[in-house]
Amino acid sequence: MLIIVKNNINEISRVCDIVRKFCEEHNVSNEKCHDITLILDEIITNIVNYAYPDNKEHELSVDIDKIGVHITLRLVDSGIAFDPLAQADPDVESSLEERKVGGLGIFIAKQLSDELKYSRINGQNQLDIRVAIYSEGKDNGN
Amino acid sequence: MEIKTTTENGITILTPVARVDTSTAKVFEDGVMGAINSSNKIAICFNEIDYISSAGLRVVLMAGKKLTSLNGKLALIDMPEKIFSVFKMSGFDKILKIYPSLEESKSFFN
Repeated sequence: MLIIVKNNINEISRVCDIVRKFCEEHNVSNEKCHDITLILDEIITNIVNYAYPDNKEHELSVDIDKIGVHITLRLVDSGIAFDPLAQADPDVESSLEERKVGGLGIFIAKQLSDELKYSRINGQNQLDIRVAIYSEGKDNGN
Repeated sequence: MEIKTTTENGITILTPVARVDTSTAKVFEDGVMGAINSSNKIAICFNEIDYISSAGLRVVLMAGKKLTSLNGKLALIDMPEKIFSVFKMSGFDKILKIYPSLEESKSFFN
């Protein structure tokens, strides 16, 4: 299912509502649905805030699908080239005083995804995300 | 988004309602930072939200830093498991004080 989104923060709750409905219709657990909407929230927030320095209205797309035991998300935008996977992770071991405010959104999206793949194709950013909808098999490192 | 405010034994308890995300983070920030201006013992109660994104975590971190610099105290209380998992994933459980209830945070404040 393809969702067209404007580069506006207020679009995020609308997208998340559509995705929650999609999850319900495809019997995705509330817990996994929470993770999927949080990933989308973080990635779209990042695109809206940084992809279009011209501050004009643009559109990006979110394609959500259920393939086997995975929910797949493909986000495409025509903003400036940005590979979220190339960004340094925040230092989650640093003290309160040293801990930097920010940089957490992409990190959370990475933590919650089973697979993330970035490509720059024909002047567009394409991010492919896979989330297994059964929690078995996901190694949380605990 | 609404933030309920109550006071108990000199502790200001802030309870955000519904969701703390990019679109509501500014209201959350204004509420939390405003409370710090009048009290240096703050508890944020999470039992009435079902969602927090990094925009909300950023506000909690700022509040923690600010209160530490003022010799104040911040406790995070009554977190649903899903909310706790986001805090833990971000390493915030190591730098902020998280308690199951207000009662259990009282020795920290005293």
